[in-house]
Amino acid sequence: MGTSNDILDTYIYENNSMLEQLESIVLDAEAIDTFSQDNINEIFRIMHTIKGSSAMMEFDTLATVAHRIEDLFFIIRENSMEVVSDENRPALFNMLFQAVDYFRTEMEKIEGGQPLDKDIDDFMADINSLIAKINGEEAPEASDTGLEASADSEGSSAAAPVGNPDFPYQLLVFFDEGSGMENLRAFMLVTSIRDFCSDADFLFIPEAVENDFSTAEQIIENGFLLMFKNSSDREKTIPIVRSAGSVKAYEPHDYVVAENKPEKEESEQASVAVKEEAPVAQAKVSKHADVPAVSSPAVAQQHQKESLISVHQSKLDKLSALVGEIVITEAMVTGSPDLKDVGNLDAFAKSARQLRKLTDELQDIAMSLRMVPISTSFQKMNRIVRDMSKKLNKRAKLTIIGETTEVDKTIVDNIGDPIMHMVRNAMDHGIEDTEEERIAANKDPVGEIILSAQDTGSDVIIEIRDDGQGVNDEAVLNKAIKNGLASPDVDYTHKEILNFLLMPGFSTNTNVTEFSGRGVGMDVVKRGVEELGGTVTISSQQGKGMTTTMKIPLTMAIMDGMEVCVGDTIFTIPIHNIRQSFKISADEVLHDTVDGEIIKLMDNFYPIVRAKELFALPYGVDEIEDGILLWLEAGDTSYCLLVDELIGEQQVVVKPMPTYVKNFDIQNYGIIGCSILGDGSISLILDVGNLSDIAFRK
Amino acid sequence: MSNINEENSLAENQVETENSSKTRKYLIFIIHDTETSDLKLGINAEYVVEILNNYTLTYLPQMPEYVRGIFNMRGQIIPVMDMRLRLNKPAGEKALLVVLNYGGIELGILVDAVDRMLDIEDQAITTVPSQKAQQFVSGICATPDQSGDLMILDYDQLFAHE
Repeated sequence: MGTSNDILDTYIYENNSMLEQLESIVLDAEAIDTFSQDNINEIFRIMHTIKGSSAMMEFDTLATVAHRIEDLFFIIRENSMEVVSDENRPALFNMLFQAVDYFRTEMEKIEGGQPLDKDIDDFMADINSLIAKINGEEAPEASDTGLEASADSEGSSAAAPVGNPDFPYQLLVFFDEGSGMENLRAFMLVTSIRDFCSDADFLFIPEAVENDFSTAEQIIENGFLLMFKNSSDREKTIPIVRSAGSVKAYEPHDYVVAENKPEKEESEQASVAVKEEAPVAQAKVSKHADVPAVSSPAVAQQHQKESLISVHQSKLDKLSALVGEIVITEAMVTGSPDLKDVGNLDAFAKSARQLRKLTDELQDIAMSLRMVPISTSFQKMNRIVRDMSKKLNKRAKLTIIGETTEVDKTIVDNIGDPIMHMVRNAMDHGIEDTEEERIAANKDPVGEIILSAQDTGSDVIIEIRDDGQGVNDEAVLNKAIKNGLASPDVDYTHKEILNFLLMPGFSTNTNVTEFSGRGVGMDVVKRGVEELGGTVTISSQQGKGMTTTMKIPLTMAIMDGMEVCVGDTIFTIPIHNIRQSFKISADEVLHDTVDGEIIKLMDNFYPIVRAKELFALPYGVDEIEDGILLWLEAGDTSYCLLVDELIGEQQVVVKPMPTYVKNFDIQNYGIIGCSILGDGSISLILDVGNLSDIAFRK
Repeated sequence: MSNINEENSLAENQVETENSSKTRKYLIFIIHDTETSDLKLGINAEYVVEILNNYTLTYLPQMPEYVRGIFNMRGQIIPVMDMRLRLNKPAGEKALLVVLNYGGIELGILVDAVDRMLDIEDQAITTVPSQKAQQFVSGICATPDQSGDLMILDYDQLFAHE
């Protein structure tokens, strides 16, 4: 199992990265409405690879689709982009997007072990009709290439609509020029067909191929027409025709009743140039002026493969955990109490400094291994903006800044959805509905969404900014009041009103649209970002646009924490959750009706949570004057936690709780993990947001 | 990795069926009981990682009483269960810590004393004749040297959580 799963993993990984590449090529190409020759070669290569690997993995439907698109790009590669006329280009781009989506969905299914979508006929028909259209246009100028036959045949079939309504599935076969004995070649085909198809189920024209040599002339002129009662028989015949010698081209036709318009018939045709044509085509490529352009991407690809290797994420996780241990152990060794009794430590101190330098370096490198550029998450938004811009009929462009910013892999994996929600929101609610509105407001008619990432050293700041209409405070407040989130008697500040947007069940749009406004969205963004240990803030200026800022710590594995103790138990509180710490006297504490303790800070009231009572600890201070209060904040909750004393600030390696303990639901008690301190003891890492839930649930 | 393990256990099973009197090593430990006689328990030594008499427990809040906390074994965080409390006996004074790794899940158990290692044939273990539902015990057997009887601890029940 192990090996085959590895192969499957690699298959999915490679295909997904190729699809990403494909999508970005198509997005760029759509903007300039053409493909460069390099792009065409690249798409051809991608489809070829997907076809090959899918066939190897026995995902036949995928291989079939990829094969057809490869065919299409073969034609385009041979004749350059000019072969696709302007009116067909949108169809080509759309088809490629459709293909990317199709392959992605199938990859997900493979990953999830679900069966593949067997029904690819509609999609295949789209591709085929596109090929037919392109071929149709190409025909006149391609008269000196190997595709001549298909052009000819279209002419002949349009000119002389032959056929029999009882045998609607036709197959028109052409033999190589000068191959001779066309009638006998045709008869050999008939014999092969008879192996699986009874005489009553198919006809052929001309009929007398066996004995009448003059029919050879007719075949050269009009082709050899096979007619079947059942399409399945025709399907079976195609491989035979394909493998028969001297066949130049074949075309499946469906018999069309005379009153149908010829154009319809044409669009239903899929003319296929058979493989004999390939050498001709290859030869043509080598004559082509841009031969170096063909080979150069291949060379680049090769080079890239040599300098990159892919490593399983679990190995990196283990490595960073181990490095964390080394860093801590180093501190334990060099700070060992035993050293106090030793006299001269000069040599030891020197070596210890050297060791520290090396472990620091090791830690940096180990952390950098997990860092990947955020570009993958950002690039996906191009597609969202494009699709929504089409659907909503709003013109908008996406500007990406700082996509090379590197963040922890976990962040890249989880930030996609929040960013997508915000971009959709900006497109749907932010950018004005009509260009007139924008022009009236003195703005560029084309809306702009700026997606940026910035590394501050400890956090990554991701900003989604639009230049749309901004938030209408009044509308938001009314909505909040209507939904029971706000009280009509209170005078809210601008900032408070914006915060309503992030509350569960809020949506400013009265109409539920396809993209946003389902009443979920912003609060999902908030939760997603908070899971990564980050925060979301919104700022907005009416008429100017809205900015959403997500601040996320660069890495989750190492955290800056404040060590505090309650009796013998040591807790680590993430430093970014702490607003302030202070001592108070007992008479500053207010009591509510249920004996809850409250403190007034900067004109606001905050509840006091005693860590000792919350965790039912057997030790710890009871007098509030003996302990110290930590003013904590996570998202929109804020409270004060009473602990015995502060030990100090320290960088800690976050370790998950042991599996056995997790079974007791400890995560829901405000403890997200633990870490080992310099002296080998363990501290418990608190989840400030979760902790308040427990404290106030009681 | 998992492949190899699977194969191994497969091979073992085969051996077992061919020769049902396979011998396994058991670690015997003792839970003192002042009211009745001391309880002698055996656990399959295959899953014993190590035995420690020096450890620092970190209290974990919101756990059942028998989960005494976690401790740091060379960088690994291991939860600790007190066997006395788990078997509804009063807490003891001093205890040894036996660290187990069963199916990738690590757990330390606190016991009063460790007796010795014993080779016991599978055949020698019989089911427990019991008046009430047995807790944590999968079998009973006489020690080969006739020094007394012992209960075989069941890993699945031990690692299960309620």
